[in-house]
Amino acid sequence: MPGIYIHIPFCMAKCRYCDFASFADHADTEAYLAALETEMALCREALPQRLYDTVFLGGGTPSVLPEGAVSRVLEALTRKFRVTPDAEITLEANPGTLAADKLFEYRSAGVNRLSLGLQSANDRLLKKLGRIHTYAQFLESFRLARETGFDNVSADIMYGLPGQTPEDHLDTIEKLASLGPEHISAYSLILEENTPLYTDVTGGAQSLPDEDAAYEMHRQGIALLEARGYRRYEISNFARPGCESRHNLNYWNNGEYLGLGLNAHSALRIGEKWTRWSNTARLSDYIQACGSGERPFAGEPQAIPLAEEMFETVMLGLRKTEGVSDAAFRARFGRRMGEVFPKAIERLEKKGWLAEADGFFRLTAEGLDFQNLALLEMM
Amino acid sequence: MAYDRKLIRNFCIIAHIDHGKSTLADRMLELTDTVALRDMEAQLLDTMDIERERGITIKSSPVRMFYTHADGKRYMFNLIDTPGHVDFTYEVSRSLAACEGAVLVVDATQGIEAQTLANVYLALDNALEIVPVVNKIDLPSADPERTIHEIEDVIGFPAEDAPRISAKLGTNVADVLARVVELVPPPGGDRSAPLRALIFDSIYDNYKGVLCYVRIKEGSVRAGTRIRSMATGAEFDVTEVGVFMPQLRVTDSLEAGEVGYVAASIKTVSETKVGDTLTDVANPAREPLPGYKHINPMVFCGIYPADGADYENLKEALEKLALNDASLSYEPETSQALGFGFRCGFLGLLHMEIIQERLEREFDLDLVTTAPSVIYKVVRSNGAELSIDNPSNLPPAAEIDYMEEPMVNANVMTPSEYVGTIMELCQSRRGVFIDMKYIEEGRVNLRYELPLNEIIYDFFDQLKSKSRGYASFDYELKEYVRSDLVKLDFLLNGDLCDALSTIVHRDKAYAKGRAVAEKLQEVIPRQQFEIPIQAAIGGKIIARETVRAVRKDVLAKCYGGDITRKKKLLEKQKEGKKRMRQVGTVALPSEAFMSVLRIN
Repeated sequence: MPGIYIHIPFCMAKCRYCDFASFADHADTEAYLAALETEMALCREALPQRLYDTVFLGGGTPSVLPEGAVSRVLEALTRKFRVTPDAEITLEANPGTLAADKLFEYRSAGVNRLSLGLQSANDRLLKKLGRIHTYAQFLESFRLARETGFDNVSADIMYGLPGQTPEDHLDTIEKLASLGPEHISAYSLILEENTPLYTDVTGGAQSLPDEDAAYEMHRQGIALLEARGYRRYEISNFARPGCESRHNLNYWNNGEYLGLGLNAHSALRIGEKWTRWSNTARLSDYIQACGSGERPFAGEPQAIPLAEEMFETVMLGLRKTEGVSDAAFRARFGRRMGEVFPKAIERLEKKGWLAEADGFFRLTAEGLDFQNLALLEMM
Repeated sequence: MAYDRKLIRNFCIIAHIDHGKSTLADRMLELTDTVALRDMEAQLLDTMDIERERGITIKSSPVRMFYTHADGKRYMFNLIDTPGHVDFTYEVSRSLAACEGAVLVVDATQGIEAQTLANVYLALDNALEIVPVVNKIDLPSADPERTIHEIEDVIGFPAEDAPRISAKLGTNVADVLARVVELVPPPGGDRSAPLRALIFDSIYDNYKGVLCYVRIKEGSVRAGTRIRSMATGAEFDVTEVGVFMPQLRVTDSLEAGEVGYVAASIKTVSETKVGDTLTDVANPAREPLPGYKHINPMVFCGIYPADGADYENLKEALEKLALNDASLSYEPETSQALGFGFRCGFLGLLHMEIIQERLEREFDLDLVTTAPSVIYKVVRSNGAELSIDNPSNLPPAAEIDYMEEPMVNANVMTPSEYVGTIMELCQSRRGVFIDMKYIEEGRVNLRYELPLNEIIYDFFDQLKSKSRGYASFDYELKEYVRSDLVKLDFLLNGDLCDALSTIVHRDKAYAKGRAVAEKLQEVIPRQQFEIPIQAAIGGKIIARETVRAVRKDVLAKCYGGDITRKKKLLEKQKEGKKRMRQVGTVALPSEAFMSVLRIN
């Protein structure tokens, strides 16, 4: 079943590593929310009615919105779109922006999963990243979330941070695991151009751990998470059994999703055609387009050719530790995965990067580390 | 009806890069109504994009103008634009030989530069009348009087009456035209003598074949004349003669004293080399005009397509460029590392850079070029002599008795405050100091003897950066001298990478080996195994670095379903992989081959 992503492009402050569409200036909040509602109406008219079973409010930091705003967005959404009663509805929140009142509001608006940005339990590292909160504030937010009844909480952490040691990373995992969130995402920091951190690092003001140290964090981090009962189900994602993110699994299954809001991306089958599009990344363009009754596209929707759709399915599916289901692949494309990529599969199996078992093609532990190279074989 | 010879003026403009030669030419074209104002494009004579961007002239383009002087007479001006760089000294000298006068443009904010001086001497050698002009008087930092004194002191002829102009604004440009009439003598030459036409340039035209740019020294030529190249003996039937307005305009004939073009269904410019004399087969001249030289390339490098599939495209592109550039040489070569490509020879560094740039721009090719090399003379133990322009062809050290390398005489003109750093630079390039002379207060001319292989890559850039752009540089080939040269090789994971080999002086081999190995360690991406990088002389390893094995290569996250970005990254990675060169087990990016060059 398709999911819905809603982008909230506002933050208290911009983190030094962040290149997403988000702004510390909140002056346009009201105009943005109005535009978002208009976009929902426009999509409702333009797209066939579907039943959605996940909603993800991401950002930015949706929890910086003023009180009442999240309820308003979700109410508008459910007036325009059919969302299943047991839908997974996630909201991204940052410590330092949460209070009990807000959390109660989210609960009553239907939010049933919280994704908290921790990044590190080390305040020194948080500061280097330009995070607005301390570890103590994360603990407070987590406690409040539990108190207000959130029984499905995820936390994001990062490794490969400037000045970070493998011990720092393991310490973060140990502390976090002891709190017992249902889900943990552990991402390696990606240095993006046009971010302050990029300038820091290229200018020599900060230095990143070398590749070997970063690899140790990755390797030992996975081992520790698994030892604490978090199963790795995707390259960077870990969950207690049954608590995997349904919204994100839908991405990795190359499923359908509708993205609403600034720079949101969509993939839907329209007629017979697998179609992708994205919204503009410029806030003023977004507000203006919606205001004049136009869909705020960044470009024309693209019909994805079959071969590419197959590659996408493999590219995304092989991120999951369970891999790509050959049955699902065949159900979607009428051909087995082994028939479409015979040579690549043979080479990858020979290398020990890919294995076929129980009707799934999955990357081995080593294959997951070299997923890019594995995919190049299939391009 | 031939034009009255007394009313003809053939002249060129001599100037340092950026001193305003092309701008002055543009103003002259406007003032003489040769080109309607609306057709003016800045720097009309420099027709190639690269020429406009770099502010230099590569191909000389002549143009005919008519100017009505204060005496009421209408004069025919043939302006011959000359290439402005040391690489093209020979071409310059032939262009000068086609003139009776030279307008010397000196920038009033900069003064005389090494290259200007070199060209003035060439002009004086050709007995040209010099018309000095001081340009850029509109700039606040201009000092025309000081510049005039400098011209008088350095070159030694009176310049008090030199027009002070601003070519940019058009100020006093008319005075320059008047001075040309007054100072430059009309051409001589017997119109009834046997034909002698000096080729000072040639260009390939898609419809007419090669157009020889000629100055008729004696006799005349017209369509139907059977002509002979006195250098090669090749004969052609003239299909058309004409002049440059600046577009081609067909005329009945070209007579002694005139400048124009000759078309004769000639297929490549290499058949009609610059400096050659054309004569009439029916009534041949006894002697060719003096000064013809066969010009050999001085600098060589391997040029390979970044994508091996582009080999044929590269070949076609070189063929096309060579149609127009007799001094470009190329022949196929094969490298184990780079596959099929070409060994190309150039007149000098600028020439090399221009060709590379034109291949990339005009033909949209991605290239990998190897380190430039000069021609070394090798004397084998058995006495046999070899010329080597590719380090890969060097015999084993045990079979070499000794080697020789080319030396140049270099002139560096610089404000005196940079003398120290420039001398350091020259010393570090194995330069031998000859002398230093004050041109005027605060400016000196340094003379050094330098090995050509030390200046073929970045010497000029270094000189410019160490003198904040003020120093200028000129050189001429002097002689070959014995030198303790060695071949420096690089091994990647134990395999020799031929495209990285260079010939260097033994004293520099260790430092260079270390520096290149370090650079390679930076630019070679980590692969799935550890890669030892070794620098070696003969069998002896002199430096070693290691590229550690890669540990992971995976996209961290697909955020909010933005998979197009991830796909693009993969596509870029795939493209990069395709462009990697396989040396044994190691994949090398193009930058690796450049790393041999970018050391210092």
